[in-house]
Amino acid sequence: MIKLENVTKVYRGDVVALKDATCDIQKGEFVFLVGPSGSGKSTLIRLLNKQEGPQAGRIFVAGKDIAELSKWKVPFLRRNIGCVFQDNKLLSNKTVYENVAFALEVIGRPRHVVKTQVPAILELVGLAKKHRNYPEELSGGEQQRVSIARAFVNRPLILLADEPTGNLDPATSVGIMRLLDRINRTGTTVIMATHDRTIVDTMRRRVVELDRGTIIRDQVRGVYE
Amino acid sequence: MALNVNYVIRETGSNLVRNVGLTVASILTVVVSLVLVGTSFLIRQGVENATVKWEGGIELIIFMEPKIRPEQLQAIEASLEADNSGVKDFEYVDQDRAYMEFKQLFKDAPEMVESVTPSILPPSFKVVPNDPDAGSVTALREQYRNDAGVKDVVSADDTIRTMKGMTGFISALVFFAAAVLAMTSAVLIFNTIRMAMFARRREIEVMKLVGATNWFIRVPFMIEGFIQGLVGSLLAVASLQVLNRIFTERLNQRGIELLSSFAVANGDVTTISIALLIGGTVIGMVFSAVAASLYLDV
Repeated sequence: MIKLENVTKVYRGDVVALKDATCDIQKGEFVFLVGPSGSGKSTLIRLLNKQEGPQAGRIFVAGKDIAELSKWKVPFLRRNIGCVFQDNKLLSNKTVYENVAFALEVIGRPRHVVKTQVPAILELVGLAKKHRNYPEELSGGEQQRVSIARAFVNRPLILLADEPTGNLDPATSVGIMRLLDRINRTGTTVIMATHDRTIVDTMRRRVVELDRGTIIRDQVRGVYE
Repeated sequence: MALNVNYVIRETGSNLVRNVGLTVASILTVVVSLVLVGTSFLIRQGVENATVKWEGGIELIIFMEPKIRPEQLQAIEASLEADNSGVKDFEYVDQDRAYMEFKQLFKDAPEMVESVTPSILPPSFKVVPNDPDAGSVTALREQYRNDAGVKDVVSADDTIRTMKGMTGFISALVFFAAAVLAMTSAVLIFNTIRMAMFARRREIEVMKLVGATNWFIRVPFMIEGFIQGLVGSLLAVASLQVLNRIFTERLNQRGIELLSSFAVANGDVTTISIALLIGGTVIGMVFSAVAASLYLDV
């Protein structure tokens, strides 16, 4: 599903974010990216949905080299990749329902699809009753659920999560992880960057550890350290 | 890509409402600059029309002394009659007709008319030269200037040349101001769109992340710029039509034949209006498109 071949990303001022990273992720896998701040986790995620391009190396998503993807095709790549962020990036002037529907409307999905998909996904994340609320009326955990609903409503092949539990307390985090696990069981490949030792150690999934841009560990049923 | 019409209308509408101040400012600048562009074209068209009329029969007017002796008058008339190479046609305007013309010309100023009697007005010959070229007109003028009984010879070409120079200068000035203002309105539309995009940067960011195409993101902003240009040019065309009507009415009221030749035909006004409409909307579209493309990278 995802393949990195000797990927190197250097930012201006010679900041090496990724160095010669090689990694192969199969369809339906759940992968934790761990490592200290600045080790290159977020860079890796931004490279995968082509928010940025690497200086060297090749990145394959669903068998296609995304470096060779022409600019106008990038949106179609992103329709297959859902994104969840630490700061959920919800739109404060839209309700829960509108936030999720927005993701379908702006890629031109017809109204009847929006009308059936959005309630279904809100049911899945357990927020069916709060669809009329605005994000600021929700708890942090609920906001993150909305953000996951928005990322998943289009049924992408891949879900990228950049520290989705970064702002949440442990109990709430567990709920979010259950949700991501459920999404993963539908066959969606999930890649999650995290600092949360407890989560990684409890889930016992594949762990890729980064240190100053280099992949120093790739373990199948790994732990945080 | 299926563009959702509802979505586009909703987004464009909310953008226009959200930025009322800037929207009004850019529309007004479009109006003012296009009115000026239109005015300068109308002035040019008017001058063109007037000079065509004049050049069709540049007239030389030979004014005689009011107390000219009949034999002197006959001598001049004979000489005009004989000059087949230089004079195409001529007409004698006696003192009574001169008085009629004078009354017509100054009908708004009765005190002027009262102070004049037919006997103090000079009789004159209106001469249509064979060759309307300025050089030969000047030659004719020199020929009759010093004849006995002649008071003065005036030719229209002097008047036209001054007029042409003056209006040419004025319309160039107006056109320059219009060009500057047109650039200002382009920059203002550009800025309005940029502000609108900045106000919606979070939405744009999400749109890009979930895979909305650049065109999908851009179109509402381009339509916003298009509407600003369209409304601006519609208002400009309307005010230009009104201005032209008022101007033409004033000219007709004065009843001055010379000036009424400046009136611009309705057909010309329509052409200029269409040009302004196209110009305004194109400015709006192009500059909002440029802004939308430049600031799409969030």
